Amino acid sequence: MTVLLSAWRGVTANKLRAALTALGIVIGVASVVTMLALGNGARAAVEGNFRALGSDDIEISPRYEFKNEKFAEAGKRLTYRDGLTLSDAAPDLLSVDMVVTGAAKVRRGRRTLDMTLTGTMADALTRFNTKPGVQPRNWPDDAPIDPASYLARGRFLTRAEVADGAAVCVLGHRTALQLFEGDDPLAQTVWVNRRKCLVIGVLAELETIDPADRARSRPNDALFLPIGLVVDQLYEDAPSVLMTARARSEAHMATARAQIAAHLRERHAIERDSAGNWKDDFTLTTRSDVLGARLAAARTFSVLLAAMAAVSLIVGGIGIMNVMLVSVTERTREIGVRMAVGARPRDIVMQFLAEAARFSIAGGAAGLALGVGVIPLAADFNGGAALLAPESVPLAFGVALLVGLIFGSYPAIRAARLDPIEALRYE
Amino acid sequence: MITARGLSKTYRLGGAEVQAVRSVSLSIARGEHVALTGASGSGKSTLMHVLGCLDTPTRGEYWLNGAEVGRLSRDARAGVRNAHIGFVFQNFNLLPRLSALENVQLPLGYGRRLGGKAARAAAIAALERVGLADRMRHRPAELSGGQRQRVAIARALVTQPSLLLADEPTGSLDSATGRDILALLTELNAAGLTILLVTHDAAVAATAHRVLLMADGRLLE
Repeated sequence: MTVLLSAWRGVTANKLRAALTALGIVIGVASVVTMLALGNGARAAVEGNFRALGSDDIEISPRYEFKNEKFAEAGKRLTYRDGLTLSDAAPDLLSVDMVVTGAAKVRRGRRTLDMTLTGTMADALTRFNTKPGVQPRNWPDDAPIDPASYLARGRFLTRAEVADGAAVCVLGHRTALQLFEGDDPLAQTVWVNRRKCLVIGVLAELETIDPADRARSRPNDALFLPIGLVVDQLYEDAPSVLMTARARSEAHMATARAQIAAHLRERHAIERDSAGNWKDDFTLTTRSDVLGARLAAARTFSVLLAAMAAVSLIVGGIGIMNVMLVSVTERTREIGVRMAVGARPRDIVMQFLAEAARFSIAGGAAGLALGVGVIPLAADFNGGAALLAPESVPLAFGVALLVGLIFGSYPAIRAARLDPIEALRYE
Repeated sequence: MITARGLSKTYRLGGAEVQAVRSVSLSIARGEHVALTGASGSGKSTLMHVLGCLDTPTRGEYWLNGAEVGRLSRDARAGVRNAHIGFVFQNFNLLPRLSALENVQLPLGYGRRLGGKAARAAAIAALERVGLADRMRHRPAELSGGQRQRVAIARALVTQPSLLLADEPTGSLDSATGRDILALLTELNAAGLTILLVTHDAAVAATAHRVLLMADGRLLE
């Protein structure tokens, strides 16, 4: 306590000099905080945008490329059969979820809607909270959502209907209103791309869970049909199926991935190019792939900041050393007095180290504040991804303390080596 | 309480060896009031540094309170100074940014440390003993020379040392104030404190029971 108290007095004696010296620490720590925020922001963005992609999920999508100045699928489309056969071909997969979307003309009587239909599996409602990330309107925050609460009337598709490609459909809230204008749609029929479908259910009024998405998404304009019906009967040229395969566990990700690739290469008759690489027409994406890409983007900026942090901290450290050396010289008599009344060399070392530490910790606190202030600016440079990392608080103080101790130790040792008699005589 | 046998101190100054203290033997009993006097350059300061455990003798033995302390390590000597010796200097040597009370508490932060309340109580008691209880919140700059020296004496007393080493304690004071300080030392000695007073001033030395005279590094008696 007394050591800290006297250290405090020593530091406050030259406030301006202290502030200027600590500037290096301040900038260094602010850089560290910002750097961590960038990595953290990238991670958070990935977790936010790819909430649908669990840590043991593998997303299978067609690969696109530029062909004749058009962005098009690179090879064969991913088909419903690719997915159906995948479960047997890849033993390390737990399940394969498939979804297909396409343009649809929906008619009832004289009313026609141009909209997007969705071909799904029977258990689509159990994933509605992540894909497409919706909830019944005004659902209480964080309350778990029972799949049944997505339905206003009737029921969702059954496994048998999906397996058979039965001509049934479930309507979104707004779609039902537009087609039926308040009449009961259940057990009525609608025409979808010239195919007659029985309405078996109507969804509740939905909204996206993320309020930021509510303005542009329209979850109530929806039409759900069995995926087999969609790919087999509603289109001449069925659109690509998007698949999400779930591995048995995170530990099986690599083998599951290899099994999927082998299966699709066989079905799509894919060959190697001259360099021996597979000319795949599909892309496998995992959460760690996405995270890796985002982190790589954040890394470029972080390297710059790390260099700045290192330089600033060294400059700050040298500044501290300088101020402490001046302080030791100015207070030579004090050191002599302290030694005369019983301070051992290590007591003197502790006193000056405590002083340097106080100094650098104050710089660390200011740096933390500056860093927090700079994070929004860094976010602008990095596409909006910068978020204060919780570990940066202890780290900021830790780094500052370390710099203070490292650069304060030389002056402190010099102080402790003073001869008490010489120190007492010092004018 | 103090026994020194054949103490010598040689140090190098430039290329030459200087024998500041040559084979000094002396003993001081508990409760004595002794003055060490001599012209400047006589070696009395060097002897005082050795007796104050600020320095080690080149040769000889130094016994303090029944222990040989002449060959101790730096740390151990710091411990001896803290526990057994109180210093009073000519120029007071108070820390300017600390209050009188904090200056007096300073030694209690070292050695066998004394906790906050006990340290404060001990410091207040020491300040009361030198008659400065009403000035304890003042900083040295707000005190007169005599008051500063009283604070310094209180600082020397606060650890209840067995020996008080006073190096020209009146050297920076006017004669009236100097007499007050000497009277205080005499009073403390009467209460049982052993005092070694280092001075070149015969009048000051005269306040002691016994005067040791040094010349050319030797003790003349």
